[in-house]
Amino acid sequence: MTNASEEQGGTGKYYVVYVCMLVISAIELLVAYRHPGAHELLGALLILSFIGAALGVLYFMGLASENRNAMIGFAVFTLFVLAAINYGWTDSFRILLGVPYAK
Amino acid sequence: MSHSEVVLEGSGHGHHVPVFEPSPFAVPAKKLAMWLFIISDIMTFAGCLIAYGFLRNAQPDWPRPYHSGTIISVMIMTFIMITSSLTMVLAVRAARAERRDEAFRFTMITLLMGVVFVALHVREWFSMIGQGVTLYKNPWGTSLFGGAYYSITGIELVHVIAALIAFVIVGMGYKRGRYTAVDLENCGLFWQFINIVWMFVVPLVYLMNVAG
Repeated sequence: MTNASEEQGGTGKYYVVYVCMLVISAIELLVAYRHPGAHELLGALLILSFIGAALGVLYFMGLASENRNAMIGFAVFTLFVLAAINYGWTDSFRILLGVPYAK
Repeated sequence: MSHSEVVLEGSGHGHHVPVFEPSPFAVPAKKLAMWLFIISDIMTFAGCLIAYGFLRNAQPDWPRPYHSGTIISVMIMTFIMITSSLTMVLAVRAARAERRDEAFRFTMITLLMGVVFVALHVREWFSMIGQGVTLYKNPWGTSLFGGAYYSITGIELVHVIAALIAFVIVGMGYKRGRYTAVDLENCGLFWQFINIVWMFVVPLVYLMNVAG
């Protein structure tokens, strides 16, 4: 949200993003109450959450109108670390599937 | 002589003139610092949520205690957070256009919604405590549930309260001319970040555990 051109623009896109985020939350609620399997539910909720988060970061936080280097730099760095931090899932499944269960 | 100063050889006066490196991302230094802080905070929340997912996945008796009353409350909180994100972005926009009164008004609306969010959040906590959920035990299943629940929602709540304090200080200061639009924008960035985190907390902590 740093461009002068944007300052002169309307606020319409913010309202569109706002409605989209509300709709995403409503869809998440509906999906949860359909009681699908845990993996399907997790996948659907994460996809919807990432879409909502992307809208928030790009428009409400203004990353879409920042310098392109900033956008790429922040995105790549963050996504890389978020991906790397997921290394523990295999161990989580090992605990779940191993015998006996950890209690 | 510091790194940020050079002597102009040809000037004949030997003045120390500050030399600034161009900002690598073409954003103000304060804003860059806020972005870097937010990135580090993303790691904090990601670590918490992934640890939560790890525990939930590894425990076969993870409770699913949330009934419709809790879910309605959480969806109201979500509505408040998303709406407050809109009012905050409108506040930042007004601040950039030097419409101080409008920016202050939207900031205070955001603050008010944040207070309602905190009140609902605390009410939710009391409800859980009333059902016997503590850090170390709960009536339903694995004892790790309470610790995970209070840790994640607690760290979210601490962030919200910190942002509300910042709104009071920076909002009032901005109205009086002590702080600039960039300062208010930094508060806005932080608030938007909290909202985005909430968009992950709700599905992972609440919606994944709706009572069947």
